[in-house]
Amino acid sequence: MTFFTIVTRGLMRRPVRTGLTLAGISIGIAAVVALVGMAWGYEKSIGKQLDVIGIDMIVSNMTGGIMPKTFDASVEDKIAQLPKIKETTSLLMQLISVEDAPMIMVSGRKWGGFTWHQLKVVEGRMIKDEHEPAVVLGRLAAEVLKKKVGDTVQLDSDELNVVGIVDGGSVVENGAIILSLAVMQKVTLNEGKVNFIDIRLQPGTDKDAVTETAAEIKKIFPEGRAVKASEVVGTSQGFRVARAMSWSTSILAITVGILGVMNTMLMTVFERTHEIGILLAVGWRRQRVMLMVLCESALLGLLGGILGVILGAAGLMIMETTPAIKGLLEPDLSPRLLIISVIIAVVVGLISGLYPAWRSSRLSPAVAIQS
Amino acid sequence: MAENVPSASTPTVYEARGLKKEFDGGKVAALRGVDLDVREGEFVAITGPSGCGKSTLLQLLGSLALPSEGTLNFRGRSIPDMPDPAHYRSHDIGFVFQAFHLLPTFTVLENVQIPMFEGGLTKAQRKDRAVELLESVGLGHRLTHFPSELSGGERQRVAIARGLANGPSVVLADEPTGNLDSANAEQILELLLKLHRDRKVTLVLVTHDLGIAGLATRTIRMKDGRVVSETSSSTPSLANHP
Repeated sequence: MTFFTIVTRGLMRRPVRTGLTLAGISIGIAAVVALVGMAWGYEKSIGKQLDVIGIDMIVSNMTGGIMPKTFDASVEDKIAQLPKIKETTSLLMQLISVEDAPMIMVSGRKWGGFTWHQLKVVEGRMIKDEHEPAVVLGRLAAEVLKKKVGDTVQLDSDELNVVGIVDGGSVVENGAIILSLAVMQKVTLNEGKVNFIDIRLQPGTDKDAVTETAAEIKKIFPEGRAVKASEVVGTSQGFRVARAMSWSTSILAITVGILGVMNTMLMTVFERTHEIGILLAVGWRRQRVMLMVLCESALLGLLGGILGVILGAAGLMIMETTPAIKGLLEPDLSPRLLIISVIIAVVVGLISGLYPAWRSSRLSPAVAIQS
Repeated sequence: MAENVPSASTPTVYEARGLKKEFDGGKVAALRGVDLDVREGEFVAITGPSGCGKSTLLQLLGSLALPSEGTLNFRGRSIPDMPDPAHYRSHDIGFVFQAFHLLPTFTVLENVQIPMFEGGLTKAQRKDRAVELLESVGLGHRLTHFPSELSGGERQRVAIARGLANGPSVVLADEPTGNLDSANAEQILELLLKLHRDRKVTLVLVTHDLGIAGLATRTIRMKDGRVVSETSSSTPSLANHP
């Protein structure tokens, strides 16, 4: 018999209660995995998209809302004159409800810009020119909208032909409806407006030069902000809100978990006062009794964490296939998230066990043994 | 039979002076000034009617509770001032209770190993020692049984084996036969006397049974929280027990 045997035997005294507590913790941890996995997945998807297209900097006006405000398309020409800029292109993107799909990215791209280059036609053809009233659909977008080449897509009051299905190399690209900037401006009544300028810098541009370029862009376009592609997610208010929401909901779930484990461990200590009295009477140190209670609660946390990770991962995989999410993001189920979630669960167990452990160690052996 | 009859020159194990124990903020006085000496190798029986304070005295000797007043030394060290009373409970003494106090979710073998976690033994050493102790109390065939599967006498034998887990020099027994029928009670007494005789263990036994008390080298009689008399016997014998 080892100390671990004593710890596990303590938990198995009341298997139903232990099981219910495990269920409570695992649901909390599953919520953490699902919510944080979604938020991280969103960030990762955006990062991958920028990487695939080869964007170094993005100019936008991110004040308020999830999508940036529109601004005059002529800003792009001024920015293109700056010395470290190799190439620019502009876009008008909106996250809107299209037909039966609750939210889908609609991306109007300047004709001939480098954001078209990575799109590979897998079915049908590419849009012929910037005035053709047509769209190409990312593979996932076609699946979500249940559209094929030859169908039409209703964007606001306009009906546009689906002329091709494309593979954009990232979940964001594959989840988008792509059309020419000119048609997008016309359909959404944003003539002459864009809300993103994507920039490629001259090869070998160092960090200081990037900072200098961002400052020069700020002079040209005071309302906007130029950020490095790698910093887009961190500086976006929408992303920050999503991240904060996922963590705050997770903290609520964790708090419920802590209360659940604490309740179980307190009940355990109350019920086992006599047993703890015996342990103290036969010479167990108070620290060993505390350690026993803490190990029991930590083990509850660990098992609940492992169960929660499995539940959360399964939940994410299911959510990934739902129309509301499909094509918008690729949930992050990285080992880092799974390990962090299990660590959180163990810490939850330990925190929950602190008071019951302290209480158990304060018992008088003579009184406890007579209880 | 208790053949170890110490002389006045034998070192003292316990020395109590003016020992008091009060409960409920002084409303209940369980001990009202007890003076007591227990010498190495002695078998001391503490008797008296219910509520006279004999079990409370044993709890103080076992450091399960602290005295309200007075001094209480174990081999010259103050028990209430011990920096590590758990070490004293686990190594210097073995406790045997009337109600056995075994852990119901652990087997016989596991129950005996519980105190050994404070003994610095390896897993294998703990197991070997527990088997050896259980065989010595005649329970080698009951190792994997749970307490609920044993008779009262067998449970008490497990409790005695547990009390000996870390090789104590003193055994404190609180009415060890109180919950047993006469046949089992006799077996337990024989076992305790054998321990006292063979292992030279100092035995302090609380009982209200004067027959059992008659087996001791010295009998201390208590009433209303005080020692009222002491009787010494130079030839105690189990045969004295009715």
